[in-house]
Amino acid sequence: MMKKKMRVLASVFALSMALTTLSACGGKDDKAANVDDPNAKDTITALLPPVSANFQSNFDQMAKEFNEKYPNLTLKIEPASWEDMTQKLDTQVNAGSPPDIAFMGSDGISKYVQQGMLMDISDTATEEMLKDYDAAPLEYMKNGKGLYGFPAYMEVHAIGGNKEFMEKAGIDYKKVQKEGWTFDEFREAIKKGVVTENGKTSRYGFVFATAGVTSKDYLGILVKSAGMPSPFTQDLKYAYTSKNFLEVLKDIRVMIDDGSMPKELSSIDAGKRWNMFLTGQTMITGKGLAGFERSAKLNNEKLKNKDASAVKGSIPVDYVVLPVPSFAGAKAQSSVAVDGYVTFRGKKEPTAAHKANVVKAANFLSSGKIAATTNNELFVAQITESGRKAAESMPVDRDPDNKAAVETMLKAAVPARPDIPTDLGAKAIKLEDEVIVPKLQALIAGEITPEAMYEAVRTAAVDAFGEDGVVKD
Amino acid sequence: MTEYAKPIKRRKIKGDAAWGYAFIAVALLVFAMFTLYPVISALIISFQKYKPIGSEFVGFENYTETFKDKLFWKAIVNTVVYTVLTVPVSLLLSFAVSIMILPLKKKMQTVFKAVYYLPAVASGVALSLVWLWIFDPMPVGIFNKVTSFFGLGTHNWLGSSAYAMFSLVLMAWLSSHGTSIIIYLAALLGIDGSYYEAAELDGASFFQKLWYIVVPCLKPTTLFLLVTGVIGSFQVFQNAYLMTGGGPDNATTMVGLLIFNNAFKYFEFGKAAAQSLVLAAIIAVISFIQFKFLGKDVEY
Repeated sequence: MMKKKMRVLASVFALSMALTTLSACGGKDDKAANVDDPNAKDTITALLPPVSANFQSNFDQMAKEFNEKYPNLTLKIEPASWEDMTQKLDTQVNAGSPPDIAFMGSDGISKYVQQGMLMDISDTATEEMLKDYDAAPLEYMKNGKGLYGFPAYMEVHAIGGNKEFMEKAGIDYKKVQKEGWTFDEFREAIKKGVVTENGKTSRYGFVFATAGVTSKDYLGILVKSAGMPSPFTQDLKYAYTSKNFLEVLKDIRVMIDDGSMPKELSSIDAGKRWNMFLTGQTMITGKGLAGFERSAKLNNEKLKNKDASAVKGSIPVDYVVLPVPSFAGAKAQSSVAVDGYVTFRGKKEPTAAHKANVVKAANFLSSGKIAATTNNELFVAQITESGRKAAESMPVDRDPDNKAAVETMLKAAVPARPDIPTDLGAKAIKLEDEVIVPKLQALIAGEITPEAMYEAVRTAAVDAFGEDGVVKD
Repeated sequence: MTEYAKPIKRRKIKGDAAWGYAFIAVALLVFAMFTLYPVISALIISFQKYKPIGSEFVGFENYTETFKDKLFWKAIVNTVVYTVLTVPVSLLLSFAVSIMILPLKKKMQTVFKAVYYLPAVASGVALSLVWLWIFDPMPVGIFNKVTSFFGLGTHNWLGSSAYAMFSLVLMAWLSSHGTSIIIYLAALLGIDGSYYEAAELDGASFFQKLWYIVVPCLKPTTLFLLVTGVIGSFQVFQNAYLMTGGGPDNATTMVGLLIFNNAFKYFEFGKAAAQSLVLAAIIAVISFIQFKFLGKDVEY
């Protein structure tokens, strides 16, 4: 009797295990309105990371306000950490069931366009909506003729300095903020920032995060001010075979050889260099984002209050926004990151009503009060009229010189290139990941010369784009 | 008379056999869903340019591209180097630790087993963060402090081609022996005590007992750990992904990382599937060779 009972119990257990496993494969797509009725009830899903410190804690409020504005619509927000965001999104995209909206960098748009998983909203976004956005960031959300979402902000990739150290080194940072600087001027300035004690460097002039993928940022930001605002010229020739590219590589190496940058630069990641900045181990750091002023201020406050959570060994720092120097006599152009709410589609063709609802949600998230609050928290400029209006009543404790410097750099922002075909863009990304970044790491580590790296990039570019597909100057 | 047309007896599955099949069915179902189905899918995808909407058949293109890809072969070489440097040393270390734990009392054995097994339980990401801290390239880094103390200077452990692979190998040498130690200990405890008694009567030394009794008796265990170790090492991904990202200059790009990048960074699932299957074939050949040459006199 007992034996029989045990068998039954075991089989129930085994069956429930199998069913649990199988149930993971099930699922129903109940979000899309099947009826093409603009007033029908519909749910819009959004996968959103912690864009700013309080962004995710406001999700319930956002959903409530959206529902008040559009009573037939429900905004269902799924939070994700920055670390999980790409993996979560990619998994959902490749399974053919992405969220309707995801917050991501506009540089990822071409990848998803190639997959056929983005929803072109150019025919659905109304004139009134489009007029609200500044033209430059809106262009970043385009690919070819398609519009694939709305921008949230356009952030300048700058560098940042320690005001006290720069003043001690006799650097007129206010002039630099207004007029910019050439590489030669920058090189002399960072040399002055180096402090040596007992034959050992206790402070470097400049430290930029270059470990792993951050090296991509480093080179990408510098080459924009060397006459190469995009990997492709206007006539779609690959630009990094230009002689100016070699000049930038030489300059990268010379800053390490001067002793202005650490010889271990290739292993310094984003966290480490920010720690070095706050602990006074470097005068200037990169990449610098506007929000770093806020982080530095927060740490200063903690130090003042003797809060144990202040960065260990840190000193009070006044963060100064600085432009990236220009190279090889070229015009300085600011590298920008435009992030926004990108619109996706599933395997099924979305109905016109659902598409319109997704557009309403993306517009709601990227403009007005939500955009104003988020961008203020990030210390980035408002890029919508409605956002600017909503931000008027929100006080921001921001250094006016830094604010003006960012605005000056935004005026020289690199324009978007929606004309670059996705397959060409994909080839350039692969070349960057498989040749440029590894070779740059070797260059920074002192294992290859700038000329050797340039030659490797040139050879790979000719392989990928052909002799006629690359710049020859 | 020959029995050509013997009537087929329909076997009735009943009693214990029926229950046996029922339980096996669960395992088979899970295997079919999570192993067999993905493998068959990978095979199909390897002949496609995969897209969530509208994949296209491209024949052997993904395979020919893989064989022409210099980075793939560099990744294979890196993986082989990593395997050759890590697996034998790890086996030797596990064996040595097991021998040292064996004479201890049961309680102490358990304590050491738990201590050595702890890294296997801890999150790989957390461990990598600790190792990143140990390999800090600045003079304040732990390893740099040690090497400086011995007058060997400081090194850019993960940032230079000369040290990056060695750093990953060192990381493997100094961690993750828990499973092997437990398996070796179990095998050591299974050796009949009479062998040692007989050897002692003959006046055998410790090393003679080790060589003539322990090593042959542990051969099946060693072969098992070697084969699974090589397979695991060929599939290594996490360390390179978290510690070096495959750099510098692809010096630590392993096949696992390359496949991951192709699939999840570039969305080239077809190429990634083809590379996975090539890797599976390489692993199968190596495992076959190991069994063929090392498993001759192994009895199970």
